[in-house]
Amino acid sequence: MSGPERLRIVGGAVHDPANGVDGEVRDVCIEDGRIVAAVPAGAPTLDARGMVVMPGGVDIHAHFASSSCNHARRLLPEEHTADPVRAPELADGDGPSRSGTGGTVPTTFSTGYRYAGLGYTTAFDAAVAPLTARHTHAELDDTPVLDAGCFALMGNDEYLIRQIAGGEAARAPDYVAWLLGAVGAYAVKVVNPGGIEAWKSGQRNLTAIDQPLGSTKVTPRAILETLADAANGLRLPHPIHIHCNSLGQAGNSATTLATMQALAGRRAHFTHLQFHCYGGGAGAPWSSAASTVIDHVNAHPEHSVDVGQVMFGPATTVTADGPVEYLLYSTSGRKWVNIDIELETGCGIVPYSYKEKAAVATLQWAIGLELFLLAKDPWRVVLSTDHPNGGSFLAYPALIQLLMDRSARDEQLKRANPKLLAGGAIADGLAREYSLNEIAIVTRAGPARLLGLSRKGHLGVGADGDVTVYARDADIARMFSSPRYVLKAGNLIVEEGQLRRAPQGRRLHVRPGFDEAVLKDVRRHFDAYSTVAFDNYAVRDVPGDPVRIGS
Amino acid sequence: MSPGNGSPAVCLGCGCACDDIAITLSGGRIAAAANACALGLAWYGDGSVPSRVTVNGVPSARDAAVRQVAEAIGGGRAMVYLAPDITTEAQREAIALADRAGARLDSATSDTAAIGILVGQRRGRAAATLGELRNRADMLVFWAVDPGTRYPRYLSRYALNPSATHVTSGGRAVVAVDVGSARGPGEAKARLALAPGDEVAALGLMRAAVVGRDVSELPAPLAAAADLARRMAQARYVGIVHDGEPGSEPADPQRAEGLVALAQALNGPTRCALSSLRAGGNRSGADTAMTWQTGFPFAVDFGAGFPRYRPDTPASAALGEVAAVLIVGSPEGVPPAVVDALAGRRVAVIGPRASEAPFPFEVAIDTGVAGIHEAGIAYRMDDVPLPVPQLIPGPPATVSVLKSVAAMLRAGAKGAAR
Repeated sequence: MSGPERLRIVGGAVHDPANGVDGEVRDVCIEDGRIVAAVPAGAPTLDARGMVVMPGGVDIHAHFASSSCNHARRLLPEEHTADPVRAPELADGDGPSRSGTGGTVPTTFSTGYRYAGLGYTTAFDAAVAPLTARHTHAELDDTPVLDAGCFALMGNDEYLIRQIAGGEAARAPDYVAWLLGAVGAYAVKVVNPGGIEAWKSGQRNLTAIDQPLGSTKVTPRAILETLADAANGLRLPHPIHIHCNSLGQAGNSATTLATMQALAGRRAHFTHLQFHCYGGGAGAPWSSAASTVIDHVNAHPEHSVDVGQVMFGPATTVTADGPVEYLLYSTSGRKWVNIDIELETGCGIVPYSYKEKAAVATLQWAIGLELFLLAKDPWRVVLSTDHPNGGSFLAYPALIQLLMDRSARDEQLKRANPKLLAGGAIADGLAREYSLNEIAIVTRAGPARLLGLSRKGHLGVGADGDVTVYARDADIARMFSSPRYVLKAGNLIVEEGQLRRAPQGRRLHVRPGFDEAVLKDVRRHFDAYSTVAFDNYAVRDVPGDPVRIGS
Repeated sequence: MSPGNGSPAVCLGCGCACDDIAITLSGGRIAAAANACALGLAWYGDGSVPSRVTVNGVPSARDAAVRQVAEAIGGGRAMVYLAPDITTEAQREAIALADRAGARLDSATSDTAAIGILVGQRRGRAAATLGELRNRADMLVFWAVDPGTRYPRYLSRYALNPSATHVTSGGRAVVAVDVGSARGPGEAKARLALAPGDEVAALGLMRAAVVGRDVSELPAPLAAAADLARRMAQARYVGIVHDGEPGSEPADPQRAEGLVALAQALNGPTRCALSSLRAGGNRSGADTAMTWQTGFPFAVDFGAGFPRYRPDTPASAALGEVAAVLIVGSPEGVPPAVVDALAGRRVAVIGPRASEAPFPFEVAIDTGVAGIHEAGIAYRMDDVPLPVPQLIPGPPATVSVLKSVAAMLRAGAKGAAR
């Protein structure tokens, strides 16, 4: 350890919205890594008087531990050269720490240290090709602090597409259950359903949900419905996590709304919604469709979103959505990686920069804020930058400031290119400012609930002892960028703003039950078309106990 | 089948990493490796490896040898060098050791396949996992390489396998581009011959043709290259295959740049992936693990207390800056230029057949071969990670020996601090 077996965090203003606590001054007690109602009077204490106490942050959607991320790292030596990271000086006896490099896609150890330094203790890599899940688990082994997991890409899976095309979609739940368990994933990810397969097969893309894939009757709608029903039928802790078709295109809000309407009544999470809320197109200029899209979300409690806020500055776009990256490459002239991944998905990477003098980048920035500020239920609107696509996770404090402080937004607006903002809500002057409790919801309590993590995102009895303590500061970005204390499972990992311990986190993954009869057909598919033997496909040694679901 | 988990074994004899090898054991030795090619059979052998520990040529206790290794790499400027035939788990431990020691860190890549990686860092690349070539490529262009020589099963398993999702076996156009004496495979139904001096110009013209520039009125070989480019642009999915490793004759260093640019350009009119052949022994894993831990795929310097990229100084040159080098992996996989540069340095080897290294060394600790004696992860040439099994017992695992060195290094540092 690393820390006392018992601890009383004394006198902080506690923001624990999952338990109805909104800034009440009270003690938080930890024993054996979990929150408890009380500890004996003589237990060690941590003085949090005058400070703000929240659960550890939970990142529902980021790209930080995958084969695609590593291809991005390899593409960016200039960023890594410019941002060296020395090994932190950990407390004596806590093992060696590691150096690394940063930039928009930091190395694994640096990623863990930097998340910890922000007070985040749980994160999910949102797009992992099952074929390369073994790599993700190896990276997570080298990513300290975080309790972490990954989402498995299934929206362009050759086997699933064949089942849907052949009228055998009823096999999907068993296949999905097997695949999640086989690769140690936590949830089902859908990226540009059918569109990546279209990119690989010469059709280039699918931009509307009823557009058929090649000569088949398979459409994005069919893929989405099949996977949503599979995930919900399996009672997975997190519903399907959807990156809609037509990301980044003017006028794509029509596709986004059609997708949401197709899944009305079904639990579903729509990710980096900002990139899917554009009006215009077909000759009309780009515009914001944030209010229309968030109206749908407000009216549909079965749907949740994370925003994917764009922050001005450097970014790296890294996604399974190969066709959108080709488009970005051909319009930006920047360097570009495309990797088609057999039978499953793709990977595209283009380094990028969002400039405040660029009209579209400013519009993207404004749309993200509009989504936050027009949302009626913060429990279903999660803070994200789609790290590193809209900006680094290190930009979260600056984003929190924009949400909590209208004057900060207005100052930024003065510097930005207003060309495309007319008619949008942000230009009309949205006055809303998030409270600390709302920040606690969109950064912790909300994502934990949406992920089905019963021990995360709150400070009730039985919760993990993941706690972040912030010293109040009029400069909100500074306050959130450097917590005074961070505890992970009761271990004090950040003291006086300095990382002092970096324990290994837990792996979060599920293992749903399924009818093994499906494996006969899956094995036949592997034998016919896969270059990896079926018996070598599963990741057998995922650390930690999976969440077992069903029989 | 491999003992233990019943899964087929993975051969690391070349970068194909064929994972359909059925192993038969007899008397604790490998008696047969069904499906393995000649190269694979030689790589497996009967699984025998030495299990010795020596210091200055004399058998030694392991602890003493480990202490000497720690003292060598902790005592001044040193290099940790990743040689082939170790798992990625061992590579990770070796990188950690270099970080701890403030050492140079490199692998076989910097003196072999670095050119292609550097081009990829400047331009990016259009690539695919090998199964995409198998399942989709209706046109395969082998650029100055016949995979049958150094990657014997590449053609049958990945390029020309008749079982594919999107192309029939008769539906593939196979083209060989012969550059000087570097010839494509005999299976090719069409050939283009280029003189080495015309190669880079041909690649530039092909790219120009693909993007629609007027490239008419060219001399014969270049006109044929432009014609090939136009045919490639009309295919559904093109695979361009080249050798990422150096050949017996030096290739024009601009070849890689031209191929990467051509493959990217072809994704305008059609789809294209460039397949870079890489040698075996989990070399790709070294690039991969170094990237996720340091941000750089090879040629790393921890001397400043953090990773710095020194791609202009491959290991063979960087050895001039160090007093000691720890080679982790099979010494027989160390490139000749690096072997030459070892002279005058304290050399320690931890890896398979370390004690039989074909160069002078101070310390040798034999360990097992990844995929034969040690289980873990190894990467195929296309960066697909595979589980390699332990087939038979062997010497102490590389990972555990490296952990012992790290512990010794830490203890030494604490002792010095006191």
